[in-house]
Amino acid sequence: MSSSTTRNRKDGPSTSEADATTSSASLGRPNDNNVAGTVPATVTEPNAPSPDPTPAKSSKIKPPPPEQQSHVLRRSLIIASFWLVVLCLGVPIWWRTTTIYRANLPLDQMTSWADGKSCNPVLPIRVAIASPDLTEQEVQDLISTTQSNLDGIPDLPSLQLRLEAAAQTSLEDTPESHGDNSIPLVLRLTQGDGTMSEPMSSLHTLFPILEITYPPSLKPTPETKSSGLATYITAQLRNTFAEEQAILSYLLGSSAISSDRQQSSQHTIDESLSKRITRSMKYSGTYHLTFSLFTSGSSPSSWDIDSAINEYMQPVLDMLRPIHNFTIDTQVQLYAIPGVQSQVLTKEELSSFINAAEWPLSPSIGGAPTINFVIYMGNQTIGLNTAEETSQSWLVPQWGSVYLLSPPAAAHVPSELLKQPVLTFASHLLSLLGTPQSGSLPMRLSTLTRVRSVDMVLRASSSLGSLARLSLALPSISIPSSVAEGVAKSIHHLELACSALGSTDSLEHARIAETEAERAFFEKSMVGQLYFPDEHKVAVYLPLLGPVGVPLVMGLITEIKNWKARRQQKA
Amino acid sequence: MRLSQILRLPTLLASVLLAPVHLAAAEHTSNWAVLVGTSRFWFNYRHLANVLSMYRTVKRLGIPDSQIILMLPDDMACNPRNAFPGTVYSNSDRAVDLYGDNIEVDYRGYEVTVENFIRLLTDRVGDEMPRSKRLLTDDRSNILVYMTGHGGNEFLKFQDAEEIGAFDLADAFEQMWEKRRYHEILFMIDTCQANTMYSKLYSPNIIATGSSELDQSSYSHHADNDVGVAVIDRYTYYNLEFLEAEVRDLSSKKTVGDLFDSYTYEKIHSNAGVRYDLFPGGADVARGRLLTDFFGNIQNIEVDGGKNSTVDDEMLALSRTIARLRAMADQQDQEPNNSTKSARPDTKLTKRRQPAKPLTNDNWWSQKLVGATTLAGCAALWTLGSYLEGARSRRRHVDI
Repeated sequence: MSSSTTRNRKDGPSTSEADATTSSASLGRPNDNNVAGTVPATVTEPNAPSPDPTPAKSSKIKPPPPEQQSHVLRRSLIIASFWLVVLCLGVPIWWRTTTIYRANLPLDQMTSWADGKSCNPVLPIRVAIASPDLTEQEVQDLISTTQSNLDGIPDLPSLQLRLEAAAQTSLEDTPESHGDNSIPLVLRLTQGDGTMSEPMSSLHTLFPILEITYPPSLKPTPETKSSGLATYITAQLRNTFAEEQAILSYLLGSSAISSDRQQSSQHTIDESLSKRITRSMKYSGTYHLTFSLFTSGSSPSSWDIDSAINEYMQPVLDMLRPIHNFTIDTQVQLYAIPGVQSQVLTKEELSSFINAAEWPLSPSIGGAPTINFVIYMGNQTIGLNTAEETSQSWLVPQWGSVYLLSPPAAAHVPSELLKQPVLTFASHLLSLLGTPQSGSLPMRLSTLTRVRSVDMVLRASSSLGSLARLSLALPSISIPSSVAEGVAKSIHHLELACSALGSTDSLEHARIAETEAERAFFEKSMVGQLYFPDEHKVAVYLPLLGPVGVPLVMGLITEIKNWKARRQQKA
Repeated sequence: MRLSQILRLPTLLASVLLAPVHLAAAEHTSNWAVLVGTSRFWFNYRHLANVLSMYRTVKRLGIPDSQIILMLPDDMACNPRNAFPGTVYSNSDRAVDLYGDNIEVDYRGYEVTVENFIRLLTDRVGDEMPRSKRLLTDDRSNILVYMTGHGGNEFLKFQDAEEIGAFDLADAFEQMWEKRRYHEILFMIDTCQANTMYSKLYSPNIIATGSSELDQSSYSHHADNDVGVAVIDRYTYYNLEFLEAEVRDLSSKKTVGDLFDSYTYEKIHSNAGVRYDLFPGGADVARGRLLTDFFGNIQNIEVDGGKNSTVDDEMLALSRTIARLRAMADQQDQEPNNSTKSARPDTKLTKRRQPAKPLTNDNWWSQKLVGATTLAGCAALWTLGSYLEGARSRRRHVDI
C-alpha cells in the first residue's frame, strides 16, 4: 500500500487528470490527511476496480491497482542506472584500488643468469712472454707449443690462459710499463749460463713478472720445437694460478651455479681453503676500520695511533685502494674487563675473551661494514697446548683481530710500541679481505681483483635468481617498477662484467650489478602482509557489500520476475 | 597452499644442488638473536621479563649487542604501576635486575609491529635504517628467534592491534632462505597454542620448539606479590633454568636434544612441541646441535703462529713501493687528460644554470597535459555555469 503511495507522491507532476480529481475529491475525508499538500495515504485509485465500496480500512485486502506503463519503465530505468553505476564505476574502482601492481620482470633471463647459463665463468688471462734472447720466430713457436700444452691440461677449467708475445717496453721495470692491468702476468725468459742444468723460476716482488731462467740446453731450436721449455713453462703457470683456480672452483661450487664442468673439481676443495674463504668479509666497496685500545687499569690512557697507522698501515691501505676504500676511527677505553680473567689463556678461552656485553664495539653508523682491531693492555698471555711458540694475537673470522700487549711503564703508548700490533693488523686485514696467500704481492692483488669480480657476478646472479623465484612463489607480493629497472640495470652490468671478466672494469661493473640486484631484491615497498586468510576477506567485505548488495540484487530479481510475468500476460 | 606448490620444485632443486656444499661447509661464523615480545600493558609484565631473561642469557654467552635484535613493545621498568621503578625482575626473589644499566633495545614501543618484524627478517628496510637495527646475517649465520606474547591458532598478537600469521612467518623464513640469509635457525615460541605457529614453516635448516599444543594455554610460573603480577612464564622459566644450570659458558657440550628432553608436562603444564623434520638429517642431527651454536657466540678464532716480524716488514716495504708506483702511474695517466679537462668546466657551468626541474623526468609531458586539461575543464565548467545562470535570470526577467 505504502509503496504505491510513495510512487504517487513522486510522480506528482505527471499524474493524470483522473488522479487529480480523485485526490481533490478525497480531500473531503476527515482523518487520512498528512501534512497539507501531500497526497493522502489511502487513496483509492479511480481506475481500480472496486467491487465492494467498504470503508478505507478494508482496502488493504484489495489488490493494488495496475501500474502505468510509464511507471514500470521508470522503475526499470532506476534499477538499471544503479547497476550501471556499480558496474561501470564501482567495479573498476574496486579493481584498480585493490589490484597489486606487478612490474614485468625478465624472469627467463634472471633464471638463466642464476643457473649460470648466461655467463660462462671462465677468466681469460693474457700472459705475455718476453724473451730478449730468442728470435721472434722462436718465440712464436714457443708460444704455440706452450699454448697447446696449456689447453691440454684439465687442471684450470675456470682460467683461460692466452699467451702472446710481449711488447718491448715490458722488459723494463718501470711503473708505466706495468700500469695497465690488461696483462696480469709477464713471463720473462732469460738464458742462463752453461753451469745450470735445470730451469729456475721466481716471481718478481714488485711487478707481476715470472722470471724464468733456462739452461742453454733447453734453448728452443726449430728441430726440438722447444718442448722441454714449453713443458716447464706450462708447469710453472699451473703452479702460479693453482690457488686462483682453487678459489674460483670453491666459489662456483658454493654458488647455485654448478654446471657439470665444475663437478669434477668440486671434491678437491681442501679444508684450509674453505676455512680461509669462510673467514673473509663479504665484499664491500668501503670498510670501516675501528682501532680500539682497551686497558685493564687507568694507564696507559693515550696512544700514538695516528702516526702508527700512517707509518705501518697506510701503505697497505693505499695499495688496496683500487679495490676497497677505508674509513678509520679509534677509541681508548680504560678499566676494561675481558670476558676471561685467567692469566694464561687457552684457545677456548680466547674465543670468549672479547667482552661483548661491556665493550663498546658497536658497528659504525654508516653503511660500511666494520672491521675491529683491538689492542688489549694487560698481563695475560696465550698458552696453547702445542709446544710451539705463539704470538700475542689472534684473528676472529669476519670480525677483526685482537692483540695482547703488556702495559708500558708510561701512561702514553709511543708509536714504536704499536709497530708490531699494527703490522699484524695489516696482514690480518689482507686475510680478512680474502687475499690469496701464495705468490708475490702484486699477483695476490690482481688475483684478488679477479676473484672478487667473479664473486660479485655470482652473487648478483644468485640475487636475481632469488628474486625471480620469489616473484613466482608469492603472487600477492607487489613489484614496483623500480625493481624492474634495478633488474634491467643489473643484467646490463652483468653482461658488461661477464664480457670483460678478469679485467679491472669487470670488478666495477660486477659491483654495480651486485648493488642493483641487492637493491631490487630488498626493495622496501615489497613487503606487507602477504597472506590473508579467506575469513579476513569475508570480514572486510561483508559489512560493506551486505547492505549495499542485498537491495541491489533483490531489486534486480524482482524486476526480472515482473518482466517475465508481464511477458507471459502479453502472450 | 599455492605457495608451497609452486615453491616445491625450486626448493627441491635447490636442496639437491646445495646439499653437498652445505655438508662440506657445516660451520657457521656468526650468531644472531632475534628476541621479540609482542604484548603491551602492565599485566603482561611477564612477557617482557621472558624476553629480557633470554636477552641476558644470550648476552652472557657472548653474543654482542650488535648481533642481538631486541623488540620490546612496552616499557615496564618505567611504568607508573611498577613498585620498583627502573627495574624488571623475572623472579620473586628479585635477585637479578634484568633491566640493569647495559641494555640495548632496538625496537621499542610502537615500533614493534608485524611489518617491522617482517622487514627485519627479510631486511627490506630503507637506507635510513641504522646497521644496529638490521639483521645483517649471511649464509653462515645461526639465528635464535625467540617470540613471546599472546597467541592463538596459527597467529601471534602484536600489541593488541594486529597479528602475525603462521603463513606470514613461514613466508618470511622462506624469503630469508631464498636469499641465503641464515645457516640454521632455532625458533622458540612461548605463547598459548604456540606449536601452531611453527606448523606452517617449510624452509630447511630450522629447528622449532613451542610451549603448548593447539587448544592449550601457556601458563605463567609464579607471581611476585609486591610487583603485583606474574613475572615469568613456565616454559621460559624452565628453559632458563636449564641454560643457567647446564650451559655456564661457551665450553658447554649440552645439545639441543638435552634441552628438549628436559621439558615435561609436570613442569610446563602444557605439552611443549618440537619440530625436526625441516632439518636435513632429521631428528638425530638436529638433536646433536650444541646449544652454544644458537645461544652462544662461537668464534673459530685463529691464533697466529710464532712471530715473523721480518715478513711483516717486507710486506710493508713492498706495499709502500707498490702504492708509490701506482700513484706515479695514475699521475701520468692524468697528465694528458688535464688539458682536455680544463676546457670542460666552462661548458658545464653554463649547462648547470637551468630552471628548477622536477625530481623525476618520467612522463613529464603527460603530467603537464593532465594539469592543462583539468584547468581547461574547470574553466569550461565555470563558463557554462555562469552562462546558464545568466540565461535563467534573463528568462526569469522575461517571465516577470
